[in-house]
Amino acid sequence: MAESESRYLKPLPAISSLNQPYWDALKRRELRMQQCDGCGRIWYPPSPLCPGCWSRKFTWTLLSGRGRVNSWVVFHQAYFHSYENDIPYNVVEVELDEGPRILSNLLDVANHDIRARMPVEVYFDDVTDEITLAKFKPRASE
Amino acid sequence: MANFDLKDRTAIVGVGNSQYGRRLMRSPIDLAADAIANALDDSGLSRDELDGMIVSFGSPIGADADAIAQLLGLKLRTYNQTWAHGRFTASCIQWAAMIVNAGMADAVACLASVSFSGMRRPMMGGASDREGAREAGGGHGEDPAYGMTSPGAGAALVARRYFDRYGTNSRALASVPVAFRKHASMNPAAIMREPFDVEEHQQSRYVCEPLHLLDYCLINDGAACVIVTTSERARDLKQPPVYISGMQGLPGGSEEFIWAYPGLGVVQQSVFEYEAGLQPVYKMAGVTPKDIDALFTYDAFSILAWIALERFGFCKPGEAPSFTQNGRIEIGGELPINTNGGLLSEAHIMGWNHQVEIVRQLRGEAGLRQVTNAEVIQWANAYGDSIIYRK
Repeated sequence: MAESESRYLKPLPAISSLNQPYWDALKRRELRMQQCDGCGRIWYPPSPLCPGCWSRKFTWTLLSGRGRVNSWVVFHQAYFHSYENDIPYNVVEVELDEGPRILSNLLDVANHDIRARMPVEVYFDDVTDEITLAKFKPRASE
Repeated sequence: MANFDLKDRTAIVGVGNSQYGRRLMRSPIDLAADAIANALDDSGLSRDELDGMIVSFGSPIGADADAIAQLLGLKLRTYNQTWAHGRFTASCIQWAAMIVNAGMADAVACLASVSFSGMRRPMMGGASDREGAREAGGGHGEDPAYGMTSPGAGAALVARRYFDRYGTNSRALASVPVAFRKHASMNPAAIMREPFDVEEHQQSRYVCEPLHLLDYCLINDGAACVIVTTSERARDLKQPPVYISGMQGLPGGSEEFIWAYPGLGVVQQSVFEYEAGLQPVYKMAGVTPKDIDALFTYDAFSILAWIALERFGFCKPGEAPSFTQNGRIEIGGELPINTNGGLLSEAHIMGWNHQVEIVRQLRGEAGLRQVTNAEVIQWANAYGDSIIYRK
């Protein structure tokens, strides 16, 4: 599958010992984040310890993949050649139901239809054999 | 609890700058030489009396402290350099104040010398902007895997969140860059001097929506320097001292995102009502926001002026959009901001050009853009760092 990898020219995430489980989970189509075994806090980005109580005991817990748009931007200028054909493209900040906020792209919606607090759900985008990105699609409000 | 009181114990005694411009085709060390030499001339100090230096923003965009010291033949007892970010401008001056008080140097040159021109693509958010790929994300909220890159995008994310939270918009925000350009039109050193109005701002292209091109700072070359020494020594020098009356450091932590005050709710910040105005800098200087004759702030993007106004209690959260209308932040208004034109219009020298302007204002040397009876001027950032200067 090296052929498909070579076709993906956009930037890929930097994998570290801290975030490896996050990316491994996405590859299995699971959105997982660290949850403190002591105080129950769920946090992102990955950290060596609970930013709340400093416990080093945590579990990579499965999240619902649901959340809402907290803020968003639309790029009209490409800073990477590989994004030139996508202009204008959105970047959304999704606030997950479990609390943490992550940056992503919102698919299946026109940029001018994006709204704050719009309900969204995760979509697993296998961009290479190694990397799956957590993107989002609108979901019906309930 | 401070165990020694630095209020009014140090002063700026000399300021200098190079030419500001686009594609000056001069190395940052060359530009730094102009700024340092001009600041020394201004102060009356000799080169050999300069025994400290703090450089903000070194290689690859700027000149590194060690190279400047070597090539300019300086004899330094103490020098240092910060990480390549504009938010360290106040920190450099604060550290200089501490250094001279601690006796580790007598006169400290604080400066940045930058050559952004021609480096924009690789350095400001592009594929070779290694900072964007930093572990846990870039310092401006970058996440290149989702196409989120460049400092302006982080500011745009804050602007959208702010618009939504407080029910305002880009048209209201235009008052900030319009005012700063008006100031620049009175400043012979400014790179961009042609005034524009709200309509022209609205019609300028989007770079990262909701921010327009005219919400973005310039990309340019230049250097600016200020020299700090003890107030005791300053009184014997050529220029009237400009005292460092109050200061507060650069805060950090999970509630702090460089483009937003705490509580706004971007990145991992909580959402809460920020209690503005309760800032240590005012206590140290013994003043309140009402005593500030002019405000200077890091304006890489227009929204940052709103954030700074609210963070430092000039108005309440959500009130900056109305606060900045009707000439209130212009020269002649209640609180002139960035009378040099700021990064948006004078030049992007990491805020060092603002420090030079503050000193000139307090000395009454600002010409057409002089603020009447300017006695107390504050540098206060969206990030939370601040210095209060007085004549």
